[in-house]
Amino acid sequence: MDTPPASEYTQAEAYAPVETAAAEAVAALHDFPGFEQRSWAEMPCSRRGVDDPDYTNIEVRYRFSIADSQTDLVRQQYVDSLREHWIGKGYRIVTDDAVEGTTRTDRNLVAHRADGVTLWYNVSGYVGLYIQSGCVPTSDIADIQYIPPTGGIRPGGKGDKVEEYFPGGIPVTQQAVNPFDSPESFEDQL
Amino acid sequence: MSEMTWQQLRDLDCGAVRTLGDSWKTHVDAMLDQTERLRSDVIDGHLSVEHYESNTATQVREQIAMTADRFEDDLSDYASTRIATTLHEAADAFEAEQDELKELVPLIEQHDFDIEGPQSEYDVNLSGGLHQAILTLDPPQWLCDMCGVKKPDGFWDWDTVKVLFNGVDLYGTAIGLAGQYQDWLRAVMSRAHDADDDAAAALKEMRENPSELPPQLGATYDDLIGDYKDAVSQEVADEARAIAEGTSGMSPEQVNQWWEGLSDAERDALVAEHPEWVGPVDGIPTESRDTANRTLLDDRIDGLDTQIAAKEAELAQTPPTDPQYSILEAEIHDLQTDRDELSDLQGEITNEDGSPKSYSETGQQYYLLGFDTEGSGQAIVSVGNPDTADNVNAYVPGTGGDLAGASGGLLDRTRTMAFDAQNAAPGEETATVLWMGYDAPDDLIEATDSKWAEEGSADLESFTQGIRATAEGDPSNLTLTGHSYGTTMVGTAAATEGVDADNLMFVASPGVGVDTASALGVNEDNVWASTNESDMIQYAPVHGNAPVNEDFGGNTFTSDATRESGSWWQFWDGPVENHSSYWDTGNEEHPVANTTSRTNQSYIVTGQEDLVR
Repeated sequence: MDTPPASEYTQAEAYAPVETAAAEAVAALHDFPGFEQRSWAEMPCSRRGVDDPDYTNIEVRYRFSIADSQTDLVRQQYVDSLREHWIGKGYRIVTDDAVEGTTRTDRNLVAHRADGVTLWYNVSGYVGLYIQSGCVPTSDIADIQYIPPTGGIRPGGKGDKVEEYFPGGIPVTQQAVNPFDSPESFEDQL
Repeated sequence: MSEMTWQQLRDLDCGAVRTLGDSWKTHVDAMLDQTERLRSDVIDGHLSVEHYESNTATQVREQIAMTADRFEDDLSDYASTRIATTLHEAADAFEAEQDELKELVPLIEQHDFDIEGPQSEYDVNLSGGLHQAILTLDPPQWLCDMCGVKKPDGFWDWDTVKVLFNGVDLYGTAIGLAGQYQDWLRAVMSRAHDADDDAAAALKEMRENPSELPPQLGATYDDLIGDYKDAVSQEVADEARAIAEGTSGMSPEQVNQWWEGLSDAERDALVAEHPEWVGPVDGIPTESRDTANRTLLDDRIDGLDTQIAAKEAELAQTPPTDPQYSILEAEIHDLQTDRDELSDLQGEITNEDGSPKSYSETGQQYYLLGFDTEGSGQAIVSVGNPDTADNVNAYVPGTGGDLAGASGGLLDRTRTMAFDAQNAAPGEETATVLWMGYDAPDDLIEATDSKWAEEGSADLESFTQGIRATAEGDPSNLTLTGHSYGTTMVGTAAATEGVDADNLMFVASPGVGVDTASALGVNEDNVWASTNESDMIQYAPVHGNAPVNEDFGGNTFTSDATRESGSWWQFWDGPVENHSSYWDTGNEEHPVANTTSRTNQSYIVTGQEDLVR
């Protein structure tokens, strides 16, 4: 297996810029009703067709409640707002589609940033904002810092579903990393 | 082995088989009325405590009650579960394949093909007449239509010449169609033979000797009654063992009926004292299997710890120069690997306090339906309870799938599928199962061999039947999602054994063992396939016609090719990487997230095909 190309972030480093991207997106949305839940997920990273346990893809997921997911504001207006916002920031829109079903219209707006972060606004039964790091070197779980959620979710609350990464409890009282205050490098913080 | 011919299957009166099953059910119901009368009219009536109060009377009441219990058990175990259910299942299975034959045989005849060969492996060949027609440049109209040529009018005109030059295509097209019908016919007969063999096995395994009855009343009654009660308990244990070891001949539906016929105390005792007879068994409800499997997992890890400690003690006494030293080191390494992988699996599905963990994103509990360390290792883990779910999606991984993946990347992928399904259908419960229940090939060379799929087929069939048997309420919408060699696994099981699934989804398939969707025993409208435009697998259809091909006859959905070659001179990188890109997230190297594939899969799994693109 070839050595994968160097990633801009490790897994532990990737959460901060990804959460920053989420916070920036939320700031661009008017009359924001608040998300219902935030979660961190991972997907296998394959190299030459085989899953490589030394690498992982992280996906930070923010989702609206089912009630808010049914509003025109969230299903349509936010797609337009985010498209304008992301284009304005120089992100590359790689997917922008609408799928007409018999009972609802689903939408996908996907933007790619130069640093490798991908933002996906998905309008489906639920509506959510999913932000992905791509393939990054796996970190020890102890190296992963808690980053408070954006979009109205209470840190460590019912909607903050990141407890898997903090088996000793979500450290909401510690000095949290401010997602809007991203330094040039996260290296010193790890 | 069944020797049923296609003509016998075609002419079989399935209604008569079903009616026979109904008759046995009616007989059971009538006989149960008799035992009920014994209890109500005799034990609680004429012979009740109010009328007769003595030790003898108590013994008589007990003896009659035990005789009634025995009679009911035998009615349930044999007349109902064994005979009636076997007849019903056989009738259903034969009828399904008979319907396929009724569609297929006229097509074979209309196209002037012949069915030849033994019933174990029929061939569908071009008839002599069809050969003659092609050779004399007088091909039938259907063949001209398929090849896009005008049927010659008998003269050596331009059309005739064109047909001549298309001779190879005519033959190739006709042989190709005959091959598809052959696949279809062989699949139909394979499933029919399987059903025939299953029915024969279920009936054959009925005990030859009648069950022992309670001891007769008399001087020895008190001495014998204890042994009798022990024997009754032992029968339950023997049956459970036979089911777990696969020697009972019972289908998952029959196992479920047997399980439901046990008392709560018997079920609890089996789970607690013999989890090995409960955990792996399709047909036993998910909650009980999960409890048993978690116990087995704990025990297995403890057992490995003991083995490792013993080996390490032996190693400490062995000089490093002794040849046995390196052997012991290797053994300890293997044991430690098994131990670590099982421990990782346990950590994924268990809370710190030992209680079952839930997947936080969807709120669904993890259920352990099986595990094994043999070969590459196996594990069947469900996110959500398939017994109560509206939709069940079983993900069957391909090459490289193993026990380590079941607590790592494969489980991550399963969780994402669960999350996506909940997003697509918030009002419904979708259980997503990682079915790593077969020994998958370790590498691409091994993946050219169909034996891995053939060896796993009966287990996948049984798994789907188990999902049906344990469903509470309406049957779920069951999808089998294969990836890569996992599609070969799903397709082979569907064609040879039959799978009780609503939808088959083939992602990045190297072929599914048959050349046509018609051979899969599932409505072609519910067969889905996707291969992105860059995936290398499209150049390696080693297991038959790619299911994304139009002539395969299923549906296709779009998946993006999200990855690109790193350098122009590494042009092969993109196709290799895109074989695994179907659930991709994006980054700079792979700039496009595979949102299309993920959402399409979630629509199919949740029955929203109108949204698939």
